Amino acid sequence: MIYREAGQFKSTYADDQAIFPIRQDRISLTIFGLLAFLGVPMVIDDYWANAVFIPLLVFTLAALGLNILIGYCGQLSLGTGAFMAVGAYATYKLMTAFPDLNFIIIVVLSGFVTAGVGVLFGLPSLRIKGFYLAVATLAAQFFLVWLFNKVGWFFNYNATGQINATRMEVFGVQITGPEATPTSRYLFCLLFTVVFALVAKNLVRGRIGRSWMAIRDMDIAAELIGIRPLHTKLLAFAVSSFYVGMAGSLYFSVWLGAAEVTEAFSINQSFYVLFMVIIGGLGTILGSFLGAAFMVLMPILLKNFMVGGIGVEVVTAKHVEIMVMGILIVTFLILEPHGLARLWQIMKEKLRLWPFPY
Amino acid sequence: MSERRHPIGEQLLSVDHISLSFGGVKALSDISLYVKEHEIFSIIGPNGAGKTSMLNVINGFYHPQEGEITFRGVHRKRMRPYEAAKQGIARTFQNVALFKGMSTLDNLMSGRLLKMHKNIFWQALHLGPAREEELQHREKVEEIIDFLEIQAIRKVPVGRLPYGLQKRVELGRALAMEPDLLLLDEPMAGMNLEEKQDMCRFILDINEEYGTTMILIEHDMGVVMDISDRVAVLDYGRKIADGPPDEVRANQEVIDAYLGVSHD
Amino acid sequence: MDLLFFSETLISGLMAGVMYALVALGFVLIFKASGVFNFAQGVLCLFAALALYDFISEDGWVYQLFGFALPVWLGILLTIGVMIAVAWLIERLVLRHLVNQDPIILFMATIGLAYVLEGVGDILFGSDVKPLDIGIPQGASDYLLDHHNLYIEKLEVVAAVTAAVLVAVLATFFQKTRIGRALRAVADDHQAALSVGISLNTIWVIVWSVAGIVALVAGIMWGSKSGVQFSLSLIALKALPVLILGGFTSVPGAIVGGLIIGVGEKVAEIYAGPLVGGAIENWFAYMLALVFLLFRPQGLFGERIIERV
Repeated sequence: MIYREAGQFKSTYADDQAIFPIRQDRISLTIFGLLAFLGVPMVIDDYWANAVFIPLLVFTLAALGLNILIGYCGQLSLGTGAFMAVGAYATYKLMTAFPDLNFIIIVVLSGFVTAGVGVLFGLPSLRIKGFYLAVATLAAQFFLVWLFNKVGWFFNYNATGQINATRMEVFGVQITGPEATPTSRYLFCLLFTVVFALVAKNLVRGRIGRSWMAIRDMDIAAELIGIRPLHTKLLAFAVSSFYVGMAGSLYFSVWLGAAEVTEAFSINQSFYVLFMVIIGGLGTILGSFLGAAFMVLMPILLKNFMVGGIGVEVVTAKHVEIMVMGILIVTFLILEPHGLARLWQIMKEKLRLWPFPY
Repeated sequence: MSERRHPIGEQLLSVDHISLSFGGVKALSDISLYVKEHEIFSIIGPNGAGKTSMLNVINGFYHPQEGEITFRGVHRKRMRPYEAAKQGIARTFQNVALFKGMSTLDNLMSGRLLKMHKNIFWQALHLGPAREEELQHREKVEEIIDFLEIQAIRKVPVGRLPYGLQKRVELGRALAMEPDLLLLDEPMAGMNLEEKQDMCRFILDINEEYGTTMILIEHDMGVVMDISDRVAVLDYGRKIADGPPDEVRANQEVIDAYLGVSHD
Repeated sequence: MDLLFFSETLISGLMAGVMYALVALGFVLIFKASGVFNFAQGVLCLFAALALYDFISEDGWVYQLFGFALPVWLGILLTIGVMIAVAWLIERLVLRHLVNQDPIILFMATIGLAYVLEGVGDILFGSDVKPLDIGIPQGASDYLLDHHNLYIEKLEVVAAVTAAVLVAVLATFFQKTRIGRALRAVADDHQAALSVGISLNTIWVIVWSVAGIVALVAGIMWGSKSGVQFSLSLIALKALPVLILGGFTSVPGAIVGGLIIGVGEKVAEIYAGPLVGGAIENWFAYMLALVFLLFRPQGLFGERIIERV
């Protein structure tokens, strides 16, 4: 009853192809947008920014990138952690070399650098498919982490090997560094996420998205439509790495403020984002949001429940958390392998009829 | 027969002395045939005769060890499927090769990909040129949807469609490429009588409306003899007959190898 | 170049390779029979070793409950029992429900499984490093050291011999027994196997049990060498390059792949390591696998993937 499309007719193809063709969706999105842009900044503080909102946005960006590669183009990658590192280190080098540059430019540039690296490690994808490609990306993962650890140039030869974010501004507002307020950091990330989510949606519903999906579904048939597999796959790697690189950049500079490569960008990070994409829903933009929310919020909820709620020791709680995450992942995969996005779709279908039984 | 809107023209495609082997197996032996523009040409023969391999060679999937292919006057020994598509050759498959994760509409739109060029930045914004292009091609595709009468399943993911409809969607995707030459590999396999009649009608309409030259592999003799302009018969990788349907039907070798004689 | 040193490096690499091969064997078994790349194999090694340690040592549950630790042979038997139970649980709770899914879903499920086993292992047995001593001789081989000036650990020799025996046993099992034949049938075609009456579920329990036992052997070797610790579970990742080289479905391939990777890593680390600051071992195996994939995507012994249109 709430969610009826009756009476909403589309008379042009343009209307039919809109991102949110149904009025109810548009309304809820506007409300959501108002909450996000105006509501949250009013109540946000350092804790909430660091624990919930900023990681949520940063990982949504990363999940969008990985979803493009795996969900839309069907190329499996386990190198997300390393590509985030590329973004982070690019940002570090740029911010230390050009401290007065507008930070937006730095983040976007870091994205482009990562896109380049992504294309390089994506080259094998013409010969190699599926699991085997995953191994190729593992090579990228381990090699790049080693590289950033060993080669001093990347961390400006400082003693600890750690990279620290310096003070950077955008139009006079400080975004990184010690004096940046949670509001400005949050809004910066929010802006990036919203803008690039929109870009992603536009890409996947147009010709580029279709060529990616064609490669994913049957790359042999794709060739005879006139799609060039190598170009298409490399484009996927490029765009995906662009997103992941920006996510890494924000992760390091806006969220953590510092990073040590073997901890922050290890293979665990790759799995973390992979889980987001799978649980959220492969091949959907919404899924990237939902998956990121799930993976970021679930451990927090678990810990609060265990340590705060029933008084479990912190160490044991960590072990239980690992176990529960595993159980949740397996359960999810059994019950709804198409992810939260599909669950959401099913719920909308049910809402169409509710409260009627049929 | 009434006047054809696109009368049969000159040679469009010819294959000369094509031989194809896989390891020890000889799939095609010294086959030569030609197809004229605007005609419907059928290839028939027992299973394993090499019919699909022949299409695969024309399409660029398989590269023959010997022989040449001439399309629109251009000789070539080997070609990639991508180039074949660019030159105006489209194809359907025995085991439907649709993009199962996409809707009918998206599958048909993917057939327009060769004609869509607006670069990635316009795509990212989905404004102006990219949007215009998208809508333009959407119109074209809707014409095909009307023609094939598949409006109701526009948004359905093709993986969920019944086999007969999938084959129709595949035909639609091939048509969306606006091909000069259309290769159809058993387009009526697994269909009941009604569906076959529909498919026949579509094939004839396509040939009539757009003048598309068609090469057809089919087992239903009634259909083949009815709609083809010329027929070639393959057996064990060799061509054993080539000509108008009536001639081929009466050819003794063809009868022995494939057609058989009716006993009433 | 010092020939003696090179020989030592070579042999040391071969021994490391044997250790890798032991773990890779478990992967091959499961992949052969169910088409699943079992990311949890490494954690199974860890879990098996943890369980064994618990049975035979003085700070395990058994000792706390009964006042004595079990003799090694009994501990091993019981651990085998535990691994079979784990296999049964995995089949019942997880595999059965994921029968027709995409390979990537199955792979993700095994990652989830790995997390579960790791968490459970930590909770039950604690996450500190435990020295595992089941009586395998430690230290360098005196004979070789004295007579040929070669430093080779006795443990590694034992591991090599064990691996050889294990491979022989597995090969015979697959070729000669009825169950082995059923396993090969399932690996070929699930549907066809079902239609001749082979119970998929039973097969899977068997395969995962065997993989569990292989994991136990690997766990014992690794545990004796460097103590039972969490990093054992990361071996799963190292197994991937081994499998790439050897082919995902080949038992001899796992051995050969393991040996090549072991030797390659050691040689690269010793000879090229100092030039670039060391720790080449972290990524060398993967780069090697990558290069290999570019020229031979199916590995040395794997099956050629033929795509038909």
